[in-house]
Amino acid sequence: MRFTNSLKISVGGLRTNKSRSALTILGIVIGITAIILVMSVSQSATDLILAQVQGIGSRTITVEPGREPRGPSEFGAIFTTSLKDREVEAIKNPALVRGVQNVTPTVIGSATILFRGETKNANILGTTPSILSVFKIQPEKGSFFTATDVRSRASVAVIGSEVKKELFGPSDAVGETIKVGTRNFKVIGVFAPLGQKGFFNIDEQVMVPVSAAQRYLLGISHYNFILVEAESEAVVPRVARDIELTLRELHNITDPEKDDFHVTTQADIVERVGTITGILTALLVAVAAISLVVGGIGIMNIMLVSVTERTREIGLRKAVGATKKDILTQFLLESVMLTLVGGAVGIVFGATLSFATSIALSHFLGIVWSFSFPISAAILGFGVAASVGLVFGIYPARQASLKSPIEALRYE
Amino acid sequence: MPLISVKNIEKTYVIEDVETHAVRDISLEINKGEFVAVMGPSGSGKSTLLHMLGFLDRPTGGEYRFDDRSIDEYSDDELARVRNREMGFVFQAFNLLPRTTVLENVKLPLLYADIPNEEQDTLARKAIEVVGLRDRMHHESSQLSGGEKQRVAIARALVNNPSVIFADEPTGNLDSKSGGQVMEFIEKLHADGNTILLITHETYTAEYAERIIRLKDGLIESDTKVSNRHHTKDHFVK
Repeated sequence: MRFTNSLKISVGGLRTNKSRSALTILGIVIGITAIILVMSVSQSATDLILAQVQGIGSRTITVEPGREPRGPSEFGAIFTTSLKDREVEAIKNPALVRGVQNVTPTVIGSATILFRGETKNANILGTTPSILSVFKIQPEKGSFFTATDVRSRASVAVIGSEVKKELFGPSDAVGETIKVGTRNFKVIGVFAPLGQKGFFNIDEQVMVPVSAAQRYLLGISHYNFILVEAESEAVVPRVARDIELTLRELHNITDPEKDDFHVTTQADIVERVGTITGILTALLVAVAAISLVVGGIGIMNIMLVSVTERTREIGLRKAVGATKKDILTQFLLESVMLTLVGGAVGIVFGATLSFATSIALSHFLGIVWSFSFPISAAILGFGVAASVGLVFGIYPARQASLKSPIEALRYE
Repeated sequence: MPLISVKNIEKTYVIEDVETHAVRDISLEINKGEFVAVMGPSGSGKSTLLHMLGFLDRPTGGEYRFDDRSIDEYSDDELARVRNREMGFVFQAFNLLPRTTVLENVKLPLLYADIPNEEQDTLARKAIEVVGLRDRMHHESSQLSGGEKQRVAIARALVNNPSVIFADEPTGNLDSKSGGQVMEFIEKLHADGNTILLITHETYTAEYAERIIRLKDGLIESDTKVSNRHHTKDHFVK
């Protein structure tokens, strides 16, 4: 029989059972919606994370204490104190590490900031002036502290826009004195709203000279990380390698497995983010796929009911000349068409929900969450829907095709 | 050469080790253009015989030749093809597709016959006009009366211009007036040269045919010519 005729017969069959057809595909609609939503949202999340990571520039290399964590039990290693002035000086030495533009030893912490009765918890970033080059930022008002300020442990601070807004409101902050923890700092600069840079929200930071942060605020002598900017993107791998070798020699380490530091390039981070979001996406899609199995069983169930209910119809079709194959095709096409329609509806629903999510997140959280809809998701959605229809439709369709015409005609 | 030739045909069902001989030993011949009625009480084997003659079921013994070819030579798919091209069926319970228009119902056999769309439409409309339901063409089958439903079934049976039309108790579910009307159309088909095999247990209905075969317990009891056939309009004086 011609395929168009098969199609016509199956469409007719579905049309005469509209409300049941609609209920049948509900499971598939939900399953595909979930898959599309997950894929679309995680694509957006990946884009967002990558955009933020790349905000600190592809020439930047991060040196952190402790071996690179390879499991949950190793995260404690990042609290080691292996990075101090000695390591910073070694990295700065062109005889040891070539192609370095600047080195920014940094500490992080948090403290309560007090100004005329207004308090705010803010992040403390103890750093050096070269951080401006790493983040590609400049204070909007006032100025940043200088290398001299760092050497002299000057109690000066440059604050982010949120910190400024909450403590000072509309009035000018430059020249005022704030209390950071227990010590007074003079505000010498204010940033415009800049948002996320790398792993830092600049707007929430209070930046002070690294030496002052170590001595007066944190009481430590090591660094939490050292940012190294290479002269060009091309030399990044070599610089990273040089740093590794230099620090290993400095620490008398022969076995790289015993490193008490680790060096990360932006390329590493991009790759790592990709891996993590990829795994998460796969996991979530797998969970969503469970609902598709449930949906598929629903399809099989309804198709079996339908085959029994339409026994007389099957008998009649056979009597007027339908072959086994015709009947098999009819019922298989019915279930595949059901799941394809379910898939199409699910793709539209999923994309709509993802779009709504992007608007909601951008609106309420104020982050730049761009809507993205990977075409692979649509293809996967349709493919999965069609296979669910085939897999769960074949058994009922076979049952239908095996009915003998007279048994089917006699059925009451 | 007869269209249908049956020699010592048998049909035995085995259900839970109990053998039931629905048809024991029947031999008959039906020629092209004949109008034959098969009568008998329930359980006499008349439906089983019709199913075998109509290629809906295979005999368990004996030989059945249709158009000079034995049923044993046909595969299941070929049986379906012969049913589609050479046979038309009218059932007691009408067996129309629900929630489907008269036109679509009549087209059904053509869908399985690889006939181009436009031709399907023309043939179906012609068949519907033959049974006088032109103004019901786009009604759904459930909106029709019993008599009209059976006329749709007749249109469906003749739409593929078959060699033989099998009618299994076509008036069984109808009142005498619409039953009479239905018989009138069947008689008209015969007058137009169609071969018809009618199953009934009503003597009155059987007497529309030219020949009556009476069955009892799976055997032929008698095979007689009808001397005083009913003709069109007779039912109005019944």
